[in-house]
Amino acid sequence: MKALSTRMRVWWVVITIAVLVWSLLPVAAIFATSFKLPSQLDVGTFLPKTWSTTNYEQIFTGSAKDLFLPALRNSIGISLIATAVAVVLATFAAYAIARLDFPGKRLILTTALGVSIFPVISLVTPLFNLWRNIGLYDTWLGLIIPYLSLTLPISIWTLAAFFRQIPWELEQAAQVDGATPWQAFRKAVVPLAAPGVFTTALIAFFIAWNDFVYGISLTSTSRARPVPAALAFFTGASQFEEPTGAISAAAVVVTVPVVILVLLFQRQIVSGLTQGAVKG
Amino acid sequence: MTAATADVSGQVVTDKPAKGRRSDRSRSEVRLGWLLAGPAFVVMLAVTVYPIIQAFFDSLYSYRLTAPADKHLVGLHNYVVVLSDPVWWRAFGVTTFITLVTVLVEVIVGFALALVMHRAITSLRGVLRTAILVPYGIITVVSAFAWYYAFAIDSGFVNHWFDWVPGIDTNLNWFAHQGTSLFVIMASEIWKTTPFISLLLLAGLAQVPGDLEEAAQVDGATWWQRMRKVVLPNMKAAIMVAVLFRALDAFRIFDNVFIMTNGANGTTVLSLLAYRTSIGRLEIGLGSAISVLLFLCVIGICFIAIKLFKVDLASARGER
Amino acid sequence: MRRRTRLLAVTTAVAVTLPLVACSSESGPPRLTWYINPDNGGQVEIAKRCTEAADGKYTITTEVLPRDAASQREQLARRLAAKDSSIDIMSLDPPFIPELSEPGFLAPIPDDVAKKVTTDVVQGAIDGATWKDKLVTIPFWANTQLLWYRKSVAQQAGLDPSKNPVTWQQLMDAAKQQGKFLGVQGAKAESLTVWINALVESAGGHILTNPEASADELKLGLESDAGRAAADIIGTIGREGLGGPGLPTADENASLTLFQGDRGSFMVNWPFVWSATQAAVADGTLPQSMLDDIGWALYPQVDDSQKTRPPYGGINLGIGAFSRHVDLALDAAQCIVTPENQAYYFATNGNPPSSTKAYDDPAVKKAFPMADVIRQSLEQAAPRPQTPYYNEVSTGLQETWHPPSSVNPDTTPQRSTNFITAVLRGEALL
Repeated sequence: MKALSTRMRVWWVVITIAVLVWSLLPVAAIFATSFKLPSQLDVGTFLPKTWSTTNYEQIFTGSAKDLFLPALRNSIGISLIATAVAVVLATFAAYAIARLDFPGKRLILTTALGVSIFPVISLVTPLFNLWRNIGLYDTWLGLIIPYLSLTLPISIWTLAAFFRQIPWELEQAAQVDGATPWQAFRKAVVPLAAPGVFTTALIAFFIAWNDFVYGISLTSTSRARPVPAALAFFTGASQFEEPTGAISAAAVVVTVPVVILVLLFQRQIVSGLTQGAVKG
Repeated sequence: MTAATADVSGQVVTDKPAKGRRSDRSRSEVRLGWLLAGPAFVVMLAVTVYPIIQAFFDSLYSYRLTAPADKHLVGLHNYVVVLSDPVWWRAFGVTTFITLVTVLVEVIVGFALALVMHRAITSLRGVLRTAILVPYGIITVVSAFAWYYAFAIDSGFVNHWFDWVPGIDTNLNWFAHQGTSLFVIMASEIWKTTPFISLLLLAGLAQVPGDLEEAAQVDGATWWQRMRKVVLPNMKAAIMVAVLFRALDAFRIFDNVFIMTNGANGTTVLSLLAYRTSIGRLEIGLGSAISVLLFLCVIGICFIAIKLFKVDLASARGER
Repeated sequence: MRRRTRLLAVTTAVAVTLPLVACSSESGPPRLTWYINPDNGGQVEIAKRCTEAADGKYTITTEVLPRDAASQREQLARRLAAKDSSIDIMSLDPPFIPELSEPGFLAPIPDDVAKKVTTDVVQGAIDGATWKDKLVTIPFWANTQLLWYRKSVAQQAGLDPSKNPVTWQQLMDAAKQQGKFLGVQGAKAESLTVWINALVESAGGHILTNPEASADELKLGLESDAGRAAADIIGTIGREGLGGPGLPTADENASLTLFQGDRGSFMVNWPFVWSATQAAVADGTLPQSMLDDIGWALYPQVDDSQKTRPPYGGINLGIGAFSRHVDLALDAAQCIVTPENQAYYFATNGNPPSSTKAYDDPAVKKAFPMADVIRQSLEQAAPRPQTPYYNEVSTGLQETWHPPSSVNPDTTPQRSTNFITAVLRGEALL
């Protein structure tokens, strides 16, 4: 490993700083705004004049808690379930695509691509009518089902790519060594497939977590409204006051877990989204 | 010709079956394949095909949700109204503009970021990749609010930080003019979605055979020459796929515009127009026509990309 | 093996989601759901009080609607169009009441109830709750805009709005002379329609000449002296920068911020500004001298020969037509609008009562020294056009009368009339 010249080192420091500023400035900005007092919001500085946690109090214990806390619960629950269902379905599909030779392979992958390009707005009004008629409007299930159209395609692609890289002969080798098919599957395949499944779940969760249009169109109360939709409904002290502080605080609360997940699993995410081309 | 050969361990291995005839084994494989992949396939189709067909039927009526007694069939009249209306074409123009600009910027910035991730020295790799991926995980609505509050005339800091730039001062109301509003909207969109593009490009970059590049370097090519002659041509497929995906996403832009301007000052995009007509005005018929047209536009982009520009989706389908 | 796993997965998914889908079983007194617009907790408190007052007959729970009136209407209209039986009581913004009433989404109000809830109620609120000569909603609270002014600025301009009514021209002249800004809402939002309507009505005209007509026959009244006078005022303020650089995006909150700043002079706004300024003084962000410098009066006149017709807003209570407990809901609504509850709501949330009796409450007078001016303003207030197509009219106005600097008395009334008419006839997109 040749040592880096000072010029290269300086270059890399500059690049790193530039990348950090580009990526983190907006996050830092809303972080700072969330600590500003509502009456000092128009001062126009980056940092708060007085650091205050009043916005956080508002969304956790104050007037906005009935809007924020249920929304948080809805988002977490709906996103997790939609991710789980998508990953389960995609695992079976990807296994079939990677291991078996059947003529539907290309069709399914093309369908996945096709489904992912549908404009969501085109789907909401008919879905609204249907959900209203069968009682799924403003329910968790009423969001989980459309979310599958967001999470399934990318899950299928990513998992298919992962599974294609698994050496399936290991399963046969284990069986030759005397293991039952189930043991072979468990001991040889599962450890290799698990990271891929986990990464896919992570990526699918991000997509479900991010949804906005379904959230604002297919819900109307705190029973099922997810956080991005709820952010658009936040209120200030009166119906005319801009709830900048409360929105910023809520935004930070839903961003912190994301940043932590990215921090912990950046290697897996990169591997997953580059279809395994980049591993470590 | 079906070749069923037995290999050393006694397992039967089949080659491609003859046309029209499948062995028992491969028939059961097909069945199993569909059994496993079937549910995913059915779910995907059900959630998208039914609504778009329903939308098409709804678009044939004049139907206002709060006037259900007045619902009547008008055939393709809604489409005539939409396609002859300057509001639709203005939205189409804005959407196309946003698509072109964001795709261009993101491919360039994404490529730069991909290079950074690819060549990063090991100690910095983790930090850089985490930083680059953070916008990917952020909710689009959060990004919209963050950029909006930064540029807002009363609460934002941008006017104060950048008032040394000619044209920017504390009186500049970014969200009162089309140009500046679009700038902020596109900035938020670019910031949020570049990581995904950079990863697609990184995949392409990682597949450029290392020895080709090394050979060029040994031959004395400069970095720029290496890029132009070796790296980029080998990445063409990946770049085209990235451009296509990004264009499809950009054309459907909604969240950023909804939060920042809600379409004011000529920033209305097609998705927002559909939302405003179907859900804002409760004009289901007219709104469904816009929805169907938007869908057709997206299909059109795919068609142009695949047939005209010969974008090769094989790698996206995983058949490398 | 895999089939078993799949079955397990599906069963788990169903088992997890089923309880979330199924409603909890109802036991105990009937539960009325009141869909409220966001406020500072007042309606929730009133719901509690009325639940106690019901003494076991029913309980009232609240659900929050979105922040702005147009979104509230979207939510309610879609659910009522689908015959939602869970909507018992709704807090409705008056301009959208005709749209919900016309297709029969609101349960009719019996005559005896109507008589009770319109006695000792300000005229503006009664007008806002009526459609086609019938009372279709129960007046709750009524909002109006006052003219707020910095006493220092008014003194220098030689004006005393609290004694003599002022005209818009006088305000514009004063602002120009002293280099100050007017706090008006020029944003492309409902607040713009509020402003246009107040100006047109104060000049003796109406935005719609036949508001109860069907979409094909609606006619606008903007191509008139009143319309041109309104366009003149808005256009001049916009072009000469009298509203400040933030005018094209100024909402009610931004106007308040401007008014509290160094270049504040006169502002037209709702009474929430009083409690908000008091809160800022309590926080230490504004000096007490600011509060002392604020005066209030009736909305400005367009010309001094006609009484001003200030904006009217507020909330009226509608009963869902598909509710399972219409009688109980009517009962509950009448409890909500008692003068005591209205007075409480005003004192704590800053939303003025529609009941004239509530204004006599000492707590009200203490919290809002301008209570009497508000009441008088409500007696003179003019509601925005009452038509089921209000959304089209308002959005159409916002499209064509924005930004304020582009408004021209010779072209804007005509352009907006043509555009809105085309939209109403279904020939143009909005």
